[in-house]
Amino acid sequence: MSGKMLFYILKRALLALLTIFIVITVTFFVMHAVPGNPFAGEKAISAEAQAALEAKFGLDKPLPEQYVDYLADIIFRFDFGPSMKLRGRQVIDVIMDGMKTSAVLGLIAAAGAALTGVILGAVAALRRNSILDKFIMVLTTAFVSMPSFITGTFLLLIFSVWLGWVPANGTTTSGLILPVITLALYPMAYITRLTRSSMLDVLGQDYIRTARAKGVPGWKIIFGHALKNSLIPVITYFGPMLAFIVTGSLVVEQIFAVPGVGRAFVSSITNRDYTMILGTTIFLATLIVIMNLVSDLLYKVVDPRIEFD
Amino acid sequence: MKKIIALALALMMLLGCMGLASAEATSIAVCLSSEPDTLDPALNSAVDGATMLAHLFSGLATWAQDENGNLVIVPECATELTAPVFNEDGTVTYTYTLVDGLTWSDGVALTANDFVFAWKRAASSALGADYGYMFEVVKGYPDNLAVEATDDKTIVVTLANNVAYWNELLAFPTYFPVREDVVASEAWATDAATYVSNGPYTMASWSHNSLITLKKNPGYFKADTVTMDTIECYLSDDSSNMLANFENGDWLLIDDVPTAEIPNLKVNYPTEFVIAGQIGTYYVCWNVNQNLLPADSTLTGVEAEKANAEIRYALSLIIDRTYIVEEIGQAGQVPASSFVAMGMTDADGTEFYKNAGNSDEYIGYYNTESTDEVIDANFDAAYAIFEKYYEIDENGMITNAPTMEYLYNTSDGHKAIGEYLQYAFSMVGINMTLTNQEWNTFLNTRKNGDYYVARNGWLADYNDPICFLDMWTTVSGNNDVQYGKGAHADLAMYDLDLTALGYDIKVEDGTWAQTYDVLIAEIKACTDNTTRFALMHIAEDLLMSTGCITPLYFYTDIYMIDDSVQGFFSNPLGYKYFMYTTVVK
Repeated sequence: MSGKMLFYILKRALLALLTIFIVITVTFFVMHAVPGNPFAGEKAISAEAQAALEAKFGLDKPLPEQYVDYLADIIFRFDFGPSMKLRGRQVIDVIMDGMKTSAVLGLIAAAGAALTGVILGAVAALRRNSILDKFIMVLTTAFVSMPSFITGTFLLLIFSVWLGWVPANGTTTSGLILPVITLALYPMAYITRLTRSSMLDVLGQDYIRTARAKGVPGWKIIFGHALKNSLIPVITYFGPMLAFIVTGSLVVEQIFAVPGVGRAFVSSITNRDYTMILGTTIFLATLIVIMNLVSDLLYKVVDPRIEFD
Repeated sequence: MKKIIALALALMMLLGCMGLASAEATSIAVCLSSEPDTLDPALNSAVDGATMLAHLFSGLATWAQDENGNLVIVPECATELTAPVFNEDGTVTYTYTLVDGLTWSDGVALTANDFVFAWKRAASSALGADYGYMFEVVKGYPDNLAVEATDDKTIVVTLANNVAYWNELLAFPTYFPVREDVVASEAWATDAATYVSNGPYTMASWSHNSLITLKKNPGYFKADTVTMDTIECYLSDDSSNMLANFENGDWLLIDDVPTAEIPNLKVNYPTEFVIAGQIGTYYVCWNVNQNLLPADSTLTGVEAEKANAEIRYALSLIIDRTYIVEEIGQAGQVPASSFVAMGMTDADGTEFYKNAGNSDEYIGYYNTESTDEVIDANFDAAYAIFEKYYEIDENGMITNAPTMEYLYNTSDGHKAIGEYLQYAFSMVGINMTLTNQEWNTFLNTRKNGDYYVARNGWLADYNDPICFLDMWTTVSGNNDVQYGKGAHADLAMYDLDLTALGYDIKVEDGTWAQTYDVLIAEIKACTDNTTRFALMHIAEDLLMSTGCITPLYFYTDIYMIDDSVQGFFSNPLGYKYFMYTTVVK
């Protein structure tokens, strides 16, 4: 690893920290500006109970003080605090519990999507305008435009209710097959299209023509030059996509009753579970920042001409 | 040869018997809702949580089915539900003896002190439990409860006054015992490993957001009566997913179904789709401090509020509740013409709602029948009021009413009802806009009275009308109408005459605080059941006279249960009981 690259990573890491700090700050003040509180329900609790709960979770302090306390807890103790709604549970435990399922689901779906997407995309590009190309394009257009609640519901209806091949709840391993497919379809289709257009672009480049003219075998041109160089846009897309996909999808979790972390993101906001909102936001932001950094570093692997600055 | 035939026949009979003999499953898979916020009996305020707690814990009393299938409150950990002793100061003392041999699921003996500790903890303001107020009836609430253990098996509790529904409270999850050393860490109730209970079941596992498994507790003192070994509570709140799992046979009971599917389910699952009673009312609440009179109206103060009350009543008359329940709700809801919900019992054992209102022709405060004559009569009555306060054009349309704004929390069902109300009011020329807010914001807006007219709903916590009535006192945290607040605080316009019931209370043109608040206080202090219920009817009359409460329908509890499940029952609060079930496939 060159010194230049180390410097680059260090610089990006510092920028990442700054980004996360800004995310925390904005989220903290915005969520407190929204009306409502974590202890609200259809049946109101007594004023004394409300005061006791606010004191328990430090919500009785002035907002700037709460903010400083929160930052201090994270920086010095790596403590994200207790959930205000799920009494007795720590934010970090709730996130990690959900991540056990979401990460496995997400990684399988992302890997499957990348692999299938790149292969289909390459095939479509190499067989441009053929029936196969058109078939792949029609299919991917459909998957890109169909929201996951439609594809998910269809899959559930066909394979679980009608055929009875897999259970309709994600509490068992076989119940995770449909959620993985549902999660993978959109990125798979998107990657196929990215790969196809990028590959078509590369195939028209001079150096490919030169290679052909020099008599380099076709497979070597495709795998050694064309495919590798056409992956840059895919990598750009893959990083953040991976971050999103492993942090769960509420829609997929709802449709298939999957115990993932996606639900925590949404319910924390509905519940005004302040610590949970911050915890999940920081978690997602950190993952995205890391994934972006990783994809930037991967550019260099794929295309050594890229310089870090 | 004969031998062979005989043998073959015998074999066939044996096989036949084996085939016919029903296989009895030892576990039942159900889905009530998604991950419960808490399974600490003191902190829980959800119905699905209460169902699980009713299996995990035993209180002094419990709900049970008698031989006729009726639901009754019976003693559980207490040897008997003793009669009260009336003290000279008006307080009431109950003494309970625990049955022999009670233990916790970790083998430790359960003592009267565990109950005392649990009750004081649940009621304390420091805990901040949603249902802490369930102990309001006990003397010394919230932080000095008059409950003590005189020995290991005796609990003595003193109530501020006689409470008709006390035995029912003893069966309520907030009254379940917990042990001090167990609950010392708040995380105790989030993990099966630290979850110690005393009921028919123990928590075998809790896979968060996924599955809670309850196993029969061999140490439970009535373990021999429990027929179901394992209850698997799957955690999902998506009604379509629930239905998919029910239809493919994985889950035998689901507590929710997609509303759009209800007509199909009624046809396709006539015995398995169940509509059960639930004590609750869906209603519209009007902000008492919002004016409905035309901008140029000269009426002010008491006169204006009297006119507003009439107009609100008139608007209630033009709503077709039958349409709402049949076309929008579709789940067997019952059109409501009073606020205290169906399912509440009156002093004489009849239904409270049937005795509401003062009409000889119909039940409640309006005639909600959907016949042409009734609808015409309701419209005529409404127009008689509109004509007093509004200009009406030749088409019968009100031309000078202010634009109203209907607030509801984001949901397709609430939206559909809002749109119906908008349509119904537009038929008389009143323009109403619809605004939806996300749940928590909505609660905040409604509680603060920053609305014109809003969607509302109330589910009973126990079978006594007071839980529908005491929420409207001035200081109540649930007083969304804003009675006695803002400008309404000074409006001296309500009458209260309790002399016929032997009280020395007669108020003419009093404020809300001088009438309704006084009345609720008297109800809470009243020890005579007949008088107490008479007072509650007066309270509902007064409440309904403001026109601020427009009841639409009484809730129902819909669920699906597989035909193979026997011995299941649920109570009017929506708790479901699986301990005595058998599953015959």
